[in-house]
Amino acid sequence: MDKQPHMRDDEVLMRVRDLKKHFQVSAGFFGQNPKFLKAVDGVDLDIRRGETLGLVGESGCGKSTLARTLIRLYSPTDGVIEFNGADLAKLKEKDLAPHRRDIQMIFQDPYASLNGRMNVRDLIAEPLEIAGIGNDKSRTARVHELLEVVGLNKDHANRFPHEFSGGQRQRIGIARAIALNPQLVICDEAISALDVSIQAQVVNMLEDLQKELGLTYLFITHDLSMVKHISDRIGVMYLGKLVEIAPNNALYDDPKHPYTRALLASIPIADPVEARKDNQDQMQGEIPSPIDMPSGCRFRTRCPLATDLCAEQEPELKELADNHKVACHYAE
Amino acid sequence: MTDIHVTVPKEKWTPVDRGAQDAEFIAAPSLTYWQDVRQRMWRNKPAMASLAFIILLILAAIFGPMLTHHTYYDQDLKLSNIPPIFEVYKAEPADAPAQYVFLNSGNFKLYEVAENGEILGLVRAKRKDLMKKQHIYVFGDAEVRVDYSQLPATLVDGDGNAVESIGYRWNQTNWFGTDSLGRDVLVRQLYGARISLTVAFVAAMVNFFIGVFYGGIAGYFGGNVDNVMMRIVEIIATIPLTLYVILMMVVFQSGFLSIIIAIGSVFWVDMARIVRGQMLSLKNQDYVAAAKTMGASTKRILTRHLLPNTMGPILVTLTLLIPSAIFIESFMSFIGLGVSVPMASWGTLTAEAVETLRAYPHQLFFPAAAISLTMFAFNFLGDGLRDALDPRLRK
Repeated sequence: MDKQPHMRDDEVLMRVRDLKKHFQVSAGFFGQNPKFLKAVDGVDLDIRRGETLGLVGESGCGKSTLARTLIRLYSPTDGVIEFNGADLAKLKEKDLAPHRRDIQMIFQDPYASLNGRMNVRDLIAEPLEIAGIGNDKSRTARVHELLEVVGLNKDHANRFPHEFSGGQRQRIGIARAIALNPQLVICDEAISALDVSIQAQVVNMLEDLQKELGLTYLFITHDLSMVKHISDRIGVMYLGKLVEIAPNNALYDDPKHPYTRALLASIPIADPVEARKDNQDQMQGEIPSPIDMPSGCRFRTRCPLATDLCAEQEPELKELADNHKVACHYAE
Repeated sequence: MTDIHVTVPKEKWTPVDRGAQDAEFIAAPSLTYWQDVRQRMWRNKPAMASLAFIILLILAAIFGPMLTHHTYYDQDLKLSNIPPIFEVYKAEPADAPAQYVFLNSGNFKLYEVAENGEILGLVRAKRKDLMKKQHIYVFGDAEVRVDYSQLPATLVDGDGNAVESIGYRWNQTNWFGTDSLGRDVLVRQLYGARISLTVAFVAAMVNFFIGVFYGGIAGYFGGNVDNVMMRIVEIIATIPLTLYVILMMVVFQSGFLSIIIAIGSVFWVDMARIVRGQMLSLKNQDYVAAAKTMGASTKRILTRHLLPNTMGPILVTLTLLIPSAIFIESFMSFIGLGVSVPMASWGTLTAEAVETLRAYPHQLFFPAAAISLTMFAFNFLGDGLRDALDPRLRK
C-alpha cells in the first residue's frame, strides 16, 4: 500500500494515555469487596493522522471495550484521551457533542447496527439531522451522494435494511459513518461478519475512502491476514493491555513479544508439510479471567519464556526498535 | 393385469425456456414494514372480523343513541319486561277488524301489537278468573283466555282450545326488548357500550402515555433509576383494585369516576413492566450505540429508535389490557360499585338481568353477549396484531 508521503508524518490525531475501563461485576451484600472486570487496564496508544492502525487480539482481550471507550460509549475509569486539543475522557456528555461528529464507528454486525424501522434515507441522514446540517432536501441529496460513494444507488434510499444483504448493509453503515466527514473512523470488527469475497470488496472500499477523504482508521479485528493487508501499524492486545505495537512489516517479520509470535503461529498454513512441523510458539492453556488477573506480566501463565521475574514485575511498553514497542522482559 | 400405457405428448418433454430475466428474479416485492403488517393482518380473518366488530361497536355507541327516541332513563311500567321476539296471535272478532296480540309468558299479560311486531299497548283483561287461573280478554265478540294453570302460560279460546299463532315477530318498538322498568334494553346497551369504551379508552391512554414512558425510562436508564421506579410499580401493583375503588368512592361519590381514576392510576403497571423488559434488551443493540456516537439525545434515542421497535409488544399488550379493563368495570358495576342508576353499564345490566333471570332469561343474553363478544374481539385482534407485527412470521 502506498500512502501519500505527507500523510506519513507523525502528527498524532488521538493520544491515549493509561486508559482504563473497569466494570464492576459483583459486590458484597453491603457493597463491600466489589470485584472488577478490568477490560481495558492501562493502554497507551497514539493514533496518527491518516494512518490505519490495526488492533488485534483474542476474543475477550478488550479490543471492543477499548474502541467503545475511545468513542465514549463507555466512560473511562481513568486515563486520558487527547483528541483535537480536548481530553475526551473527562468531558461530560453535553461537552462531548462537538467532538462526536469527528469520531464515528462502523459496527461488527450489520444486522444489529441498523434500526430496522427506519429506511436507508433516514438511517444515513440521521447523523446530519442530529448535527443540524442542512434541511430535509439537502440532506436527501447528501444521502444520494453517499450511497453512490459506497457503491449503492439512490433507488435504495427508500428501502429498509432487511431488504439488503450483509455486505450492502455494511455499506449503509459505512455511508452513515462517513456522512459527517469524521477524522477518525473506528472499525470494530467491521468485516468479520461478512463473507470472504464481500470482505475484500468492503476493505478495498474502505481504502479508497481513506484516500479520498483523508480518513484515519482504527481497525479492530481478530483476522490477522486482513489486518496485515490494510494496516500501516498494528497493535497487539492481551488482557486489557497493549503488549506490542509496530509497523506492519516489522510486526509480521520480527515479532518480539511471545504472545505476538503465538498469534502469528496460529494462522493456519496452507502447506500441510509445514503445518505438521512442531511449532515452539504455539500457545498453551486458556486466557485467564480478566477479573482475577495473574500478578506481574499477564501473559506469564501461558508464556514459554516465563520466569520468576515475570511473576513479580509487570513489564513496561518499551521502544526496542524504530516505532516498535514491546512489553516483555525478555524481548530483544 | 392390463398394461397401462401413459402417453405423454412429445412437446411436454422439451426443456422449459428459462428466460435470463426470470432466473435473476427471486426477490419479493419491496414492502415497507407497515405495508407488510397490513397484508398479514388482512389475511387473518378472525382478527379482521374483530376489528370490524370493534369499529361497529364504537360507531353504534357514538351514534346509536342519537337515532332513537328512546332514552336510557324513560320508564314505562306498562310495557315492562317485553321480550325482543314474541309469538303473535290473531284475534278475529266478526264485528271488528282483526287484532294481533302476544302473550308475555313471564307476567301473563297480553299486549296488542301491529302485524309487523310493533307494540301498540297493554290489553286490559275483561275479567280475571282466579279459580281457573285464567285471564279473560274480549275482542269484539271473540274471547281469548290466558291460561296459567299450567306453566308456561298458554293462550286459549273460549272453549279451551289452544289459539293458533301466526308465527314469531321481532319486536319493532324495542329491538332488544325492555327491562323490568320498561326501559329500552338496546339503548341502555349502547350507553353501556359508551361506558365500556370510555373505560377502554382511558385504559389505552394511561397505558400508552404513562405505562410506555414510565417503563421506557426505567428500562433505558437502568441501574438505580430502574430499581426505584420498579419498586414503585410493585407497590402500585399490590393494591387490591376493589378496595381501591371503594376508597375512591368515599372521596368522589361517583362510582364511575372512581373506576376511571382507579383504572387510570394503576392500570399502566403491566405495560410499564413489558416496555421496561423490551428496553433492557433493546438498549444494548448496536443501532442504539450508533445513535449515541452521533450524539443523539436520550429523547431522540427513545422516540426514534427504542419505542418504534417496541411497538409490536406495546400494541399487543394494549389489546389484551383493554378487555381486562372493560371486564373490571363490568365486574365493579355488577357488584354495585360502578355507575349509579339510572345510568347503565354492561355490568349493571347484567346485575339487573340476574334478578329476573328465572322469568326473563333473555334479559341476561344481551349484556352477557356484549361483554363476551367484546372480550373475544379484543383478544382476537391482539393475537392477530402480534402475529402481523412479527416480521419473522413473514411468508
